[in-house]
Amino acid sequence: MPLTAPVRPTEGGRRAPVLGMRRRRALLPWALLVPPLGVIGLLLLFPILRIGWLSFRDFKLRNLVSGESDFIGLDNYAMLLTDPYLWRVVLVNTVVFAAVAVLTTVVLGTLVALLLANLKPVTRVVVVSCIMVAWAMPAVSGTYVWIWIFDVDQGIVAQSLKALGVIEPAGYNWFADRFWFYAIVTLNIVHSGFPFVAVTVLAGLLTVPGELHEAARIDGAGAWKRFWHVTFPTLRPVFAVVTVLSTIWDFKVFAQIYLMPGGDVGGSQMLNLGVWAYVRSFGQNDFGTGSAIAAMLTLLLLGVTVLYLRAMFREDELR
Amino acid sequence: MARRRAHKYVPLPAATLALALAATACGGGGGDTSADSLQVWIMEGTNPDATAFFDAVNDTFTGQAGIDVDVEFVPWADAQDKISTAIAGGTTPDVIELGTTFTPEFADAGALHDLSGYIDDPSRFQQEMYEMGVIDDAAYGVPWYASIRSIIYRRDIFAEHGQEEPQNWDELRRTALDLAEAEEGMIAFPVPGSAQYSVMPWIWGGGGEVAVQEDDGTWTSTVNSAEGRAGVEFFTGLALEDGLSTTGAVNWNEIDVMESLADEQAIMAISNSSNPKAIIESNPDLEDKLGVFVLPGQESGYTDSFAGGSLLSVFEGTGNEEAGWQYVDLLTSGEYFERWGQESGFFPAGVAEIEAYADSEDPLVRPFATQLLEAGRSTPAVPAWSRVEAEGVIVGMHQDILNGNATVEEATDSAAEAIERILNEGS
Repeated sequence: MPLTAPVRPTEGGRRAPVLGMRRRRALLPWALLVPPLGVIGLLLLFPILRIGWLSFRDFKLRNLVSGESDFIGLDNYAMLLTDPYLWRVVLVNTVVFAAVAVLTTVVLGTLVALLLANLKPVTRVVVVSCIMVAWAMPAVSGTYVWIWIFDVDQGIVAQSLKALGVIEPAGYNWFADRFWFYAIVTLNIVHSGFPFVAVTVLAGLLTVPGELHEAARIDGAGAWKRFWHVTFPTLRPVFAVVTVLSTIWDFKVFAQIYLMPGGDVGGSQMLNLGVWAYVRSFGQNDFGTGSAIAAMLTLLLLGVTVLYLRAMFREDELR
Repeated sequence: MARRRAHKYVPLPAATLALALAATACGGGGGDTSADSLQVWIMEGTNPDATAFFDAVNDTFTGQAGIDVDVEFVPWADAQDKISTAIAGGTTPDVIELGTTFTPEFADAGALHDLSGYIDDPSRFQQEMYEMGVIDDAAYGVPWYASIRSIIYRRDIFAEHGQEEPQNWDELRRTALDLAEAEEGMIAFPVPGSAQYSVMPWIWGGGGEVAVQEDDGTWTSTVNSAEGRAGVEFFTGLALEDGLSTTGAVNWNEIDVMESLADEQAIMAISNSSNPKAIIESNPDLEDKLGVFVLPGQESGYTDSFAGGSLLSVFEGTGNEEAGWQYVDLLTSGEYFERWGQESGFFPAGVAEIEAYADSEDPLVRPFATQLLEAGRSTPAVPAWSRVEAEGVIVGMHQDILNGNATVEEATDSAAEAIERILNEGS
């Protein structure tokens, strides 16, 4: 109880500045945190609260102009939750895609990290620089490149497959097929997401003491066993972080879907929660429903993140 | 006592918070524009470059009114999102070009300034377009230009293979089949999937209605009638059964169609009246090689085509409404009204101005004028219509058929159902 100590009356006069100092020291971190917290509050908290508020209102273009709107309780949510489109299309797209993309990103990133860890420093710098290009590529440009690669008539993939006789000369419109559409999105996302995982895991790998591996090797452990019983447990927190972050990113993928052919049409089979929220709000000018979708996405993400974080902290307690 | 002393140090975070607030608030208030500059948004799509035209207009306007003009070109595809965002953020322009199908929605929402008091003589404008901007006797838009879609074709290739301009659907199909055989590697007749105005003519031409209002005010769609289906079946059949299009065209919009003509890939395609100029602008080799014919009727005559176009509107509450109107007036009367038509390939939306085109000798203009004057049609002038477009009802129907996800019967049924649901539910 440090706060009770300062109030000893006998030495009041001389002790007070010291107590002030202590208090000051306690306040200092907060004072330093105020600018970022203020910015976060304005740029993040305010929009979130605004979306929450909008999601309980009947808010269309007319309300946007007049600024007046009616409170309709949970109507927006009730309408969305009873819409088969949510359950059959949007939620499936969001969750299944995110699960596959996260798993692929983390596995591929880890494999690349293991490769990097075994390279000589100079080669490693070269390879890391190369994969960083994929990471640095802006989502919009990257997506257009993927669309060109998979162009149904002229794209390199279509041309090669036609030349090999895998698909008929007429071609195949994979953008219209939900599975292939998301396969292309997954390629895009994994391509731009794995470098982060690789570099982060590599940083972790370099801290694993060599003796542990040596001991395991002496005990006769193969490469897989050494990874699974030595590397993975040591790097568990690192894996938790990259998984949580990848999950958050892959749940709220937007540009990579919206820009694809068929990814921006309301009612299409290709939308995920994020794109649906946008199309509802700005395509159909139904900002109340759009906000409700966004709020549901946020809640879903919070739920997933909490599960992950709990798993992570439980691991910490064990050690 | 200790508490009071500690208080001394509190201002530090308070000051930083104030600083942070001030710093971030700057970003929010920065959009404020000075009153002596007029913000104008003009749409861009399949029309030729309009920069030079607007430089001239703006010089004239600045000379007359002493107000600088700032024109921003907005791609059609982004227009709706951008306007909604601008309304929400209070950063709307003073003057905006709105497509005929958008105007009722924004007018109904109260975003636009009532221009009835300024317009001297509404009868000089093309009436169908003028009505698109009228709600409860107030006019929220001034017709600027009309656009119409007919078929642009490669005159040189037609001549080479002895083909004539087709006079009905069957001839159109046979011409395309012959050309597809003769010109391997070219696309005889692209059937674009993301171009709803290329689909509507066939619905109308077959005898269906996208939407009609009954006497009791409810809307009915006969896209799924035998007639409507015949039209949809014919158009999609050109791609699915006759292989006259390409698989990739399912993802094409009107700009992609235009590019396929400009790249000398397509032999003929449903195109906008502004396209010939834009195509020649991007590929001068095609000068003198393009021709245009009116969409032929199912048996004879013409098939109705979507007559769109734009109105110019002034946003409400910008404080610049008066100057905005002056700018609209400059564009929709006199010299610039006609000059825009000549330069863009669109038709000035005035009665006298359009009629002047009916006798045009220009083979790239006259068929479009005929189509507009004799076989043009628009979509319902109701605010809810733009939601039918925003939800991609026609596009979705068309793509489902082209992708083989639905039969013509299934797709037209669900489209008709969606159109009726949206229009009857109101806005």
